[in-house]
Amino acid sequence: MTISRYIDDRPEEGIFRVHADVFADPELFKLEQEHIFGKAWSFLALESQLVKPNDYVTTYIGTTPILVMRDGKGKLGGFLNVCRHKGALLCRKETGNSKFHVCSYHGWAYSSTGKNIDIKDRDGGCYAKSFDCDDHNLIPIARFETYKGLIFGCLDPEAAPLEEHLGELKTFLDLALEQSPQGLEFVPGRINYTYDANWKLQLDNGLDAYHFSSTHTSYVELIRRREVEKAGHKDAKMFDFTKRFSQNGGMFSFENGHSLIWLNQAQPELRPLYSKIPEIEKRVGVEKAQWMLKLRTINIFPNLQIADSTSLLLRTFRPISANKTEMRVYCMAPIGESPEDRTFRIHQFEDFFNVSGFATPDDTAVYEDCQTSFASSQPGWLQGYQRGMAATTEGASESATAIGGRPLASVEGPWIIQNETVLQEPYREWARLMAPALRAREEEGKHA
Amino acid sequence: MLDWKSIADDVLSREAAALDDQRFDDWIDLFLPDCEYWVPTWIDEETVAHDHTSQISHIYYGNRAGLEDRITRIRSGRSPASTPIHRTSHLFSALVLLGEAQDKQFEVRSSWTNHIYNPHKKNVSVLFGSSIHTLQCVDGQWKIKRKKILIKNDFLPSIVDVYFL
Repeated sequence: MTISRYIDDRPEEGIFRVHADVFADPELFKLEQEHIFGKAWSFLALESQLVKPNDYVTTYIGTTPILVMRDGKGKLGGFLNVCRHKGALLCRKETGNSKFHVCSYHGWAYSSTGKNIDIKDRDGGCYAKSFDCDDHNLIPIARFETYKGLIFGCLDPEAAPLEEHLGELKTFLDLALEQSPQGLEFVPGRINYTYDANWKLQLDNGLDAYHFSSTHTSYVELIRRREVEKAGHKDAKMFDFTKRFSQNGGMFSFENGHSLIWLNQAQPELRPLYSKIPEIEKRVGVEKAQWMLKLRTINIFPNLQIADSTSLLLRTFRPISANKTEMRVYCMAPIGESPEDRTFRIHQFEDFFNVSGFATPDDTAVYEDCQTSFASSQPGWLQGYQRGMAATTEGASESATAIGGRPLASVEGPWIIQNETVLQEPYREWARLMAPALRAREEEGKHA
Repeated sequence: MLDWKSIADDVLSREAAALDDQRFDDWIDLFLPDCEYWVPTWIDEETVAHDHTSQISHIYYGNRAGLEDRITRIRSGRSPASTPIHRTSHLFSALVLLGEAQDKQFEVRSSWTNHIYNPHKKNVSVLFGSSIHTLQCVDGQWKIKRKKILIKNDFLPSIVDVYFL
């Protein structure tokens, strides 16, 4: 099976289609583990989660367990969270602080630098000499780098440096990461849930302006009720979403599969960041500060989204199988924010997002409906990637240029476009990474 | 002496039955207009959030209006997560008085298990945990002044709504 079986990309004919099988084939899930999650940079943690020496966070890249540690001297490191002896998970907690990690199985011990410091009862163990030739230290992640407080890891030693991978997206990523001179932190409180559908449905939905007025009708009506009847949960200080529908916005796409959607902000005073704009303007300039008030959702390929459409959010969506995905969702906030702004931010976040919010569960429900149909190949080529093709221009639009942004392609215009071309670069990158594997699979098939 | 246990059993039973029978007006009516409704998150595996102003909650409402929004959405017919409506079975037990019961107010802890059936996906999920109700007697009627719900299995399945809790 070559890649054209899954992605039909013919820009000169105005065609871009994704096949339903992309979301359902268990064989593709296995190949994605190796060729997407084994190759791409994955978000691991915020530096602000590991402030003190010996702080640690455990997470995953795809299905690979990862341990991120700050060593005794303050240096960050990323390792497989796996004991070299029998392969048990080494660190069994999500976060904490420890100079040493001792495996619960046979007691092999490692320092926060990843170095093996004890093999239990080694002296009496009658090991052959060859054992001493083995490296017993934790396996470091092949590549481990940070960008403005975000920690990333990559399992591919040949990968381009992180900053090169993020490329021109950085201009727009900085609009989130430079909201405070002290950096950003996660508001404490774990939001962790699963949905029964493919991970790429979250990729799609996070960049999808088109679904809002249909999937979230009940929420839009609630907000109207709060505005008009002055009834309901007004404490959330949520935006009047109908005001958004008269704004201009669009999308930018970038190399390596990154992209973002944006929209001008009708009620900037309802941004938790609003009171900080004078400070921000002095620090980053008026244009960038004004851009921070626009609604933006970034997808960093493959599975990291930073959304600033209500209060600032970071989410990862990790495939557990072809039809099961783990969501981790964090409310992100400027370090040093006033308690009043923090509470405002939290309550606005909770109103919309989360497995128990007013909007996110409706997204989850429709992902699962899509996945139900993908159990069959019959849906074939999907038509959800073409809206806005006639409005997509090469390079930077006016609003991108205003802050020196240099995307590959732009859409800029009225909200009603609700473009889907923002999804094309992510699927081009998916195709680029998966094509060699699919070709190899076809070759094997021929020789079988 | 106040028969707190009978009162708590009565109010919590009526709450569970109202949710299971989807009599949401009756459910809302059990809460005082200025009630607090709080479902805190876990900070890590062993620590529960303790401050809704500086930590994330699954749900936090400082009054009944948030619950009214919930019911409006469930009934709208326009929320795919709520349509068709899920079926639930609420069970609670282990009523324990916290502090001292006063004539018009007391606080009670319970353990609960709720089964939730999604008739669209045809699957079952289970949530369990503990709750603390502050009950208050207003005009001769015992009402919920505060409800704090701790979900113990917080690796959550797809959708959580107030009638699952």
